[in-house]
Parts: sequence; C-alpha cells; structure tokens
Amino acid sequence: MSRSRTSVLLVAVLSLAIGLPGVSAQAQPTLTLWYPAGEITQTTLPLRDPTLFAPFEATAKVKVEMVALDYDTMQQKIFAAAAARNVPDILFIDTSWMPGFLKEELLEQVDPAKAKRWLAAVTPEIVELSDYGKGTMWGYPQMGIDVYGLTWNKQHFKEAGLDPERPPRTWDELREYCRKLVRRDATGKIVRVGYAIRHVGHPHGVVHKHLWAIWGAGADLIDDPNALRGGRVKFNNEGGRAALQLVLDMLNVDKCTSLDFPDPRAAFLKGIASMQISETVSIRARQPKEAPDMPWPTGWGMALPPARKAGDRPATLLGAWLFSVPRGAKNRDLAWRAVEWVNSEINDYNFARKYGLTPRYKSNWQKEPFKSDAYAQALLKMAPYGRRLPINLGLNGIMDALGGAIQKAWHGEATVQQALAEAERLANKAIADAAK
Amino acid sequence: MASIRHSAGALLGRAHRRHYLQAYLFISPVIVLFTLFRIWPSLQTLYFSFFKVELLKGRLTYVGLQNFIDLAQDEIFRRAIANTLIYALTIVPLSAFLAMILAVLFSEHFHLRELFKAVYFAPMVTSTVAAAVVWWWLYNPQFGLFNSVLRVLHLPEQPWLLSSRMALPSVIIFSIWKTLGYNMVIYIAALQAIPAMFYEAATIDGAGPFQRFVRITLPLLAPTTTFILIYNTIFAFQVFDQVLVLTGGGPAFSTNVVVLELYTQAFQRYRFGYASAEAMVLFLFILGVTVLQYFYSRRFEVAY
Repeated sequence: MSRSRTSVLLVAVLSLAIGLPGVSAQAQPTLTLWYPAGEITQTTLPLRDPTLFAPFEATAKVKVEMVALDYDTMQQKIFAAAAARNVPDILFIDTSWMPGFLKEELLEQVDPAKAKRWLAAVTPEIVELSDYGKGTMWGYPQMGIDVYGLTWNKQHFKEAGLDPERPPRTWDELREYCRKLVRRDATGKIVRVGYAIRHVGHPHGVVHKHLWAIWGAGADLIDDPNALRGGRVKFNNEGGRAALQLVLDMLNVDKCTSLDFPDPRAAFLKGIASMQISETVSIRARQPKEAPDMPWPTGWGMALPPARKAGDRPATLLGAWLFSVPRGAKNRDLAWRAVEWVNSEINDYNFARKYGLTPRYKSNWQKEPFKSDAYAQALLKMAPYGRRLPINLGLNGIMDALGGAIQKAWHGEATVQQALAEAERLANKAIADAAK
Repeated sequence: MASIRHSAGALLGRAHRRHYLQAYLFISPVIVLFTLFRIWPSLQTLYFSFFKVELLKGRLTYVGLQNFIDLAQDEIFRRAIANTLIYALTIVPLSAFLAMILAVLFSEHFHLRELFKAVYFAPMVTSTVAAAVVWWWLYNPQFGLFNSVLRVLHLPEQPWLLSSRMALPSVIIFSIWKTLGYNMVIYIAALQAIPAMFYEAATIDGAGPFQRFVRITLPLLAPTTTFILIYNTIFAFQVFDQVLVLTGGGPAFSTNVVVLELYTQAFQRYRFGYASAEAMVLFLFILGVTVLQYFYSRRFEVAY
C-alpha cells in the first residue's frame, strides 16, 4: 500500500518535473536572433539594444534573444547551425551571403502578398535591395541607406584652391582634383594622397570599392544579376578595362595616389587622403570619434561617385543587411511576426528617428526629421543610382577573380588586359562550377 | 612433462591476455574519442570526396572521380598547392637550421641566457591569430615598424603584404618567427643528451669547434632533425590561420594555400564534396612527403 502510494507520488513528481519546463516554455517561447557584432553593423538598427523588441515581447508574450556573432565566421556558424537542425529563428544577414544560402535553400521566402505590399510602399532603392526578381523577397532590408559614395575633405579642397562644395563629377575631374590635392614631403614621398584606393585585403572589398567605376563605364559583374545559375561575366570589355586603367593612371601618370595607403576610410579619417569612395554611413559613424575636427557637413562632403564623362549616369553600390527567417526555424510564425513588427511602417519611423537612421517607407520620408535632415536627404539623392550585388551562385568566385585582377593590374603584376582575361576565365569557371 | 609445459604455457597465455586486456581497457577512452573525432570524420571526408554534397538538403549525389578531375583542372587549386609547397619547402629547413644554430649558441653559458631563451620561445605560446594581427600592423607600409627601421637605415621600403611578390615571403617570415622557439627547445634538449665524453675525446684528438660540430653534434642530432623536419612539414602543409589573418589569401591569390582554399570551397561556396576531395589530396601529399622524409632522413642517422 505504502509502496504503491510512493510509486504514485514518484510518478506525479516526475510528471511535474518533466512537464513544468514545457508548460513555462509554452507560456513564453524564446526567439533567437543572430546578428553580426561590431562596427560592421554600427550603422544599422542597433540590435545590441536589449529594449528593441520590448513592445513586441510584451504583446506577443515572447522573449527575443539577440545574439551577436563575429562577422567573419557568422556565415559558417549559420550554416553549421542549419546543418545541425538548430538554426536561430531570425537572421540579420549580409546580402553577399545570399547566393550560398539560396543554393542551399536555407531561407524562407517572404509571403508574396506581403512582399507586394512592401515593394509598393518603400522607396526605389529599398525596392532594388528587396526584389530578387519578379517580386521575390527573401527578407526585409535594413533601415539606414548604405550607399557607396565619394567623400572629400573640405579643408584640403580649400588649401588646394578647389571649391569645397563642388566635388569632381567626371573621371577627368577626379584625376585633376587628385593631382591638385596630393602632398609630398621633401624627398618626394607621398604623405597625402589625392584619392585613396582599396587595393589590398579581401578581394571582395577591393571590388566593392571600385564597382562605381566598373558599372559607371558600362561593364558588369554578370549579364543577369537576378539569375541564380548560369550566365557569363561582363567585365572583360572596354568599360572594365577603362575602369581599371583609371586608377592605374592616377598611380603611374598623375602620381596622386599610392599603394602604401592600405585602407581608404582610415586614410581619409586620418587626414592623409583627401578623397575616397566607400560606404558613406561608415564615414558618418566613425568621423566623430576618429576625426572630430572634420564634422559633417563643414568638414567633409558626400556625393555620388563621378561619372565617366559629363552626361553619363553615375553608378554606385548599395549595401544591405536583411532581416530573414531561415527554413527550419523552430518558431517560424512567431519569427515572421517579429520581423514584420520591426519592419512595419510605424516602427520604421520610430526606430529611424530614435537611432538616427534613414527610413524605408516613402510615407516616412514625408515626415520630420527626415524631410529636412540634410544628411538624410543627401543619402536619398544618391540612393537611386545604387545597385545591389547580383544573386548568382558563382558570386564569390566572380568577386575573388575580379578582385585578384584589380590587385594584379594596380600592383603592376599584369597588364589590365591580361588581368581581366584571366579573371574572366576564372569567374566563368566559378559560375559553371556553382551551377553544377 | 608435455602436459605440464602445456598448462604452464596456457597459464602464461592467460596472464598475457589479461595483461593486454587491462592495457586496452585503460587506453579505450582515448581510442573511442580518437575514433569518434579523428578517424570517423576522416573516413567521412574520404566518402564525401566522391559525392556532390548538399548538406542542408541532406542530399548526396555520387559523382565518382569527378571532384578529383575538376581539381586537376582548377587553376586556383594548383596555385594553392604551389604556394603551400613554396611555403613548406622554405619554412621547414630555414626554421630547423636557425633553431639548431640558436640551440648550439644557447648550450654555452652566458649572461641573461634564460631570458633570451624565453624571448625566443614566447611566440610559440602566443595565439597565432593574435600574433598575426600584431604582425599585420608591423608590416603596415606606412606606420609599421619594419618600414620605419628600413627608413632609418636608408634602405628601400617594402610593400610587404600589399604586393603579390612580397606577401608570401612576409607570411613565411612570420611563420619562421612563430616556430623557431619550439624547434630550438627540442634541439636544446637533444644537445643536452649528447654525452660530454665525445667532445672531450675529440678535443684531446685536436678537433676544433667546427669539426666537433660537424663530426659529433650534427650526426647525433640527426634523429631530432628528422623529427623536427617531419613535424614541421606536416604543420607547414596545414598552414591556415596566419594566412587568413595576414592576407586572406591575396593579393591576387598569391598567398592562397590549400587549407584556405579548402575552407573557402566548403564554408563560403558550400561545395563540401569538392572540399573533401581537396582534403584528400592534401592528406596524400602530407603522407607522401612524410614517408619520403622519414626514409631519406634515416640515412643520415648515426649511433656511436
């Protein structure tokens, strides 16, 4: 009798022990969101802010746990987690990872009806970043326009007798300004470049910072930016050669830039480069700390990269991070709700205002402070000229090959023709391999 | 008599078996772990190398030798093999030679000897990634220490990691600095094991320091040299982290090495079958070179 009572009691205790966590877990599930930590996402929605999802958590009875990862290894960690069937519910991902993720069918597609509404409501550059062909969306792009642009040091312009409010608008002007801005020491060594170039480090970065010239000259990374498989590269042509030659001329003919200046942004903020082209948001974020005596807009200016010649349409790169939901997310529906909440029209406005970002909805651009914010408006003027990276599965190979070609040509290890011909061969092989 | 011998033999055999059984029992945890984390993944890699692997879809498509055929035609992989070979063939003998010289120097007594030993050994216990980050700054053409020294000496400044010609030598210099301490300590231990009477006898016979080094030290260090060469070769072929931090394989693939290429194919392009084939090629390379080295080095070993 007592033994049976003990057994019943034991079973009851065990049931409670096993069941209680399940009950509490059902009461408040946890959504996990992975994002890259550090400077790389400094100019996007601050996911490091633990209160960010507080209103959503309160209404949806859910806990959103935001996990910061190292950018360099994040892609691999996402993949490993997916392979282990333990993928987080929400991912904040770099669009350059998209091809690989799509190849492995790692991402959920945004509901077509919601995608249609989104594309109708946001500004053109956000449409460019969102639409992966025929209205297909794999996530919602960040708030905060990440457009590559020319930044220049206005003090240097004044010293060189140039109008500090008028940046170079054509390639010829860029070279002319570069020659006027370069400074040398008594031995003739360049101590300040007129225009800083990115020529080292990861080849993708080298390509990113020169795409304005490649696109601006009519060349391209690939013939169809929305094709996942197949295609051919389009940079080994007159435009591509001209784009590489432009910098070579600045290096060897004008002698106004140098290969001894590793990072254009760092050089610009240190005051040893007068002009550079890269992520404008990065300069905006870093300048107050790294170059406090060069404030926006009196200390430095920002504009579209120069066009090849007067009358040509300039082109530039649009970077973006995406809020996406991976296949296999444990709390799929809740994850989508959280993503849609962050990207709703009202939160687009609230967060952009609160964190000093630019909004994405057309309606929000009609409201203050964005309507009369000089910096935000300057970004908005540049954004329509921006393009995103193609989606092709061979993108990594294309970027590696082209980045290598740029480095070889600028370092004088191959002619422009040789470098681009080799890159074309390698990149087309990468496209073919990726499509297998 | 025969039966006594038989039962004694049986007893001995049983004791022998029990003895071995106990031994295997003691080492079984290690064997299990080694099988689980080394042998099994290696066998899986071999298996994957014959497939197109779509990990997330859980799909394996048999492609036979296609991955290996593609590898043979892959320019970038061939370049990675060449870079790895150049790296290994440079760093292994150079590091061993310099370590031997240092070990011989440190076998003499002098002021602050232990401090110098510690200084040379310190890189070995430093994280490769952390050390590589520091060296990345040292190599900076504008602000780096190396070019500052060259400037002071009125020597031409170098682009170091920024040039395709200089990047691999720059990585090699770093790696020599990193491995020197370990090799030196191994040599110091080996030198201390050489009996002093050999040197005394040689001195009595009128042998000078150079002759003593060539006739006694060098031959008696041969087994240690064999070990160092093989050990360093295995690790040189697996070079990865310093390349990733210092150059990322660039500029223009000039420092792209096999493990970095393998990593890129697997974790950036998701071609796991192809990357597995690359891993198998690397394994065969290391195995071949190690076997060659082992048999070739043994010819120089002597015993007094």
